[in-house]
Amino acid sequence: MTIRCAIFLCLVLSGCVSSRIEQSRDIVTGIESDEAMVILGRASYNERETKASFTECIEAELSGGSGAIRLIPQDKFKDDLYPWFEPRTAPTSASELGRLFTEPGVRARIDEAKIRYLAWIDGDTLTTNKGGSMSCTLTTFGGGCFGMSYWEQDASYQASIWDVNELTTAGKISADASGTSYIAGLVIPIPIIARPGNAACKGLANQLRDFILGGS
Amino acid sequence: MSVKSSLRGYFEMGGLTLECRLFGLASLIRVAILKVWSESFVIWVKHKGLSKMLLPFLMALTQSSCTNMVLVEGSLPTPLVEKIPARLGVYYSEEFKSYQYKENLPQFGAYEIDLGNQNLKFFRNLSGALFAEVLEIDSPELTSEQRSVLDAVFIPRIVEYGFLVPAMSTLSFHEVSIKYEIQLKDRYGKNLGRWSFVGYGKAEASRFGSGEAVGEATMLAIRDGGARIATEVAPAMATALKEAGIWQEKGLAK
Repeated sequence: MTIRCAIFLCLVLSGCVSSRIEQSRDIVTGIESDEAMVILGRASYNERETKASFTECIEAELSGGSGAIRLIPQDKFKDDLYPWFEPRTAPTSASELGRLFTEPGVRARIDEAKIRYLAWIDGDTLTTNKGGSMSCTLTTFGGGCFGMSYWEQDASYQASIWDVNELTTAGKISADASGTSYIAGLVIPIPIIARPGNAACKGLANQLRDFILGGS
Repeated sequence: MSVKSSLRGYFEMGGLTLECRLFGLASLIRVAILKVWSESFVIWVKHKGLSKMLLPFLMALTQSSCTNMVLVEGSLPTPLVEKIPARLGVYYSEEFKSYQYKENLPQFGAYEIDLGNQNLKFFRNLSGALFAEVLEIDSPELTSEQRSVLDAVFIPRIVEYGFLVPAMSTLSFHEVSIKYEIQLKDRYGKNLGRWSFVGYGKAEASRFGSGEAVGEATMLAIRDGGARIATEVAPAMATALKEAGIWQEKGLAK
């Protein structure tokens, strides 16, 4: 009964999210069972940066279920290839991989781990609009919240997939999701939360899996 | 209720430690909670008839506990770079080995960041990967015995450390910058070069508590500094050693 109630509440209190996934393919793809892929969050020195929680979500989606892909954890990959995949030094295009592979030990380390694809995830979830008001009061006789507030979030991410064998971009996938969350204060605050970041993660991960396994 | 259990209750419930982790909004909440909490405590102490002598001590004990002790930890990767064929003495000053940074931010509490230990481990790993042979030395001036086995001396130094919390920078990240200076001397103490650069790191505010986020950003700043040494400073050091005739093309003969 408790579980049913929890599921019911989750369904009722989840905000609506609309999402769109697009893909462009440059070459035929495929992956052997012993080959691996690395999901890398594009880091920068400005405000916008792909958060680790998003790449971890993609990793969790891709490494589980049917059609699981062998993944090398991002932190391990960066440590093994330090200092060549740090925010300051990471290649910004597949064509730069050739230059990077001339550095001693880099090619050998990637071959040793049987890494076939690098997927760079770039993007962020932003709050684009917010409004309303809610106030909460707490006294010795009790308390409560009244009013309503909302916020709109837009999650926009792009995955650029590099084929390490071919030293070229295999293709790109973009995921956009947006949704509005509400908190209504009717004595107790009732949140109705939309999770566009989660929707973008699931959409991007599923498309990425199809892209890698899908072939032409 | 005994005195002991009441005090423990306050710590756990009032959670000065927990409050310290809340930023921005928390400064107001903290002040409010502390005010109510302090007043309640005074009433409670009076009610229980405890000596007023204890009160200032207890108040000082509880209200000064809002310090973020930042622990810096993380992986210590070995750089994948070509070794410079030279034998280097590496001098780490005491200040470098035990570098600590303390700052009291009026609205956000005090921070004590102990980065010396992790920074030292990182540099030991780094220098071992950069040069063909490395010997840690106790003084930047070489003894005659050391001169016979070492080609040059590598001296790293932390010039400056700084950090920003989200409420100060308006960004959603905790940010850290560490200004390093690397000095290279030949075995006789002649300066071969000096390089200054900044390592930068940032960590998500929502992902870690404030202290943890500063620790994570500090580790990333050390890592970024190491990347700059490996990719920018090391080639310049190699050139300086070459120009000074300290470059052993055919390996290191004993």
